Amino acid sequence: MQPGPSTLPAEASVLAAQPSTLPPYSWTLLRWSFTIGVIPPVVLVAALALKSKFLLIFIHVITGGTWTGFDLFMGVVMSRVMRSLEIPARVEVAKRLTPTTFFMMPSFAATAVTAGIFLAILDGKFDLTSPWIIAALVVVVILTAQGFGIFMPNGVRIFIELAKRKPDTGLIARLNMRNISLAGVQALLQVLIILIMAHLALD
Amino acid sequence: MSVNVAALVAVFLFTALMLAIFGTLYRGAVRSYERGELDFEGIRILRWGMAGQVAIYAVLALTAFFGWP
Repeated sequence: MQPGPSTLPAEASVLAAQPSTLPPYSWTLLRWSFTIGVIPPVVLVAALALKSKFLLIFIHVITGGTWTGFDLFMGVVMSRVMRSLEIPARVEVAKRLTPTTFFMMPSFAATAVTAGIFLAILDGKFDLTSPWIIAALVVVVILTAQGFGIFMPNGVRIFIELAKRKPDTGLIARLNMRNISLAGVQALLQVLIILIMAHLALD
Repeated sequence: MSVNVAALVAVFLFTALMLAIFGTLYRGAVRSYERGELDFEGIRILRWGMAGQVAIYAVLALTAFFGWP
């Protein structure tokens, strides 16, 4: 059901006369993000259907590596680039970055974790009393909480702000910078989880 | 067919959490729309965003039905 502004106050009517600021390329980028984002879970399903450990390792490593690499790039490179840009330029980056990563990053993260748990079970390493497995789960819980609690809500709030007739560009730039800075924190945690994974692989 | 109940419950919990957060933001967006601050395109993109996330979790939920490993 479409909510209708049947009885808009005068000020709202003036706002309604203004065009939306949501750029047309938002939809194209969002569709692209979904197309790429749906591939990893499909490959994971295929790995399980085919009982292929090779495919399971492949999807775990490629999604985990892409997730880590993206966060390192955002935290180490993009955070510096964005800080050097003027606010309008940061908003332009946010307008394109948010829809492009909207489905991809949660999908890579969820697939990497799910495939990792299946791999640990397959190798007989999913022992909840093992300090290494507990450490890995603690890091995953922190990463997930940040994803659900900060990344995704910020992304949605950027979309909402972009679609407003008078968007708060300062808010868009702040939300985007918060996500990019947090990506740096995520990258550090992922370096930690890779150290744990390296230990588990040798174990 | 054996079902990995723990995996299925985990996916449902994550989906429910995502929908709860998304739903809260969506309600705020609808209020902005009713005040005339937000274009309907904003509501539409949020709906598709939510549907897309649910679709990805639905594919992940399939992993619970293979009985392997």
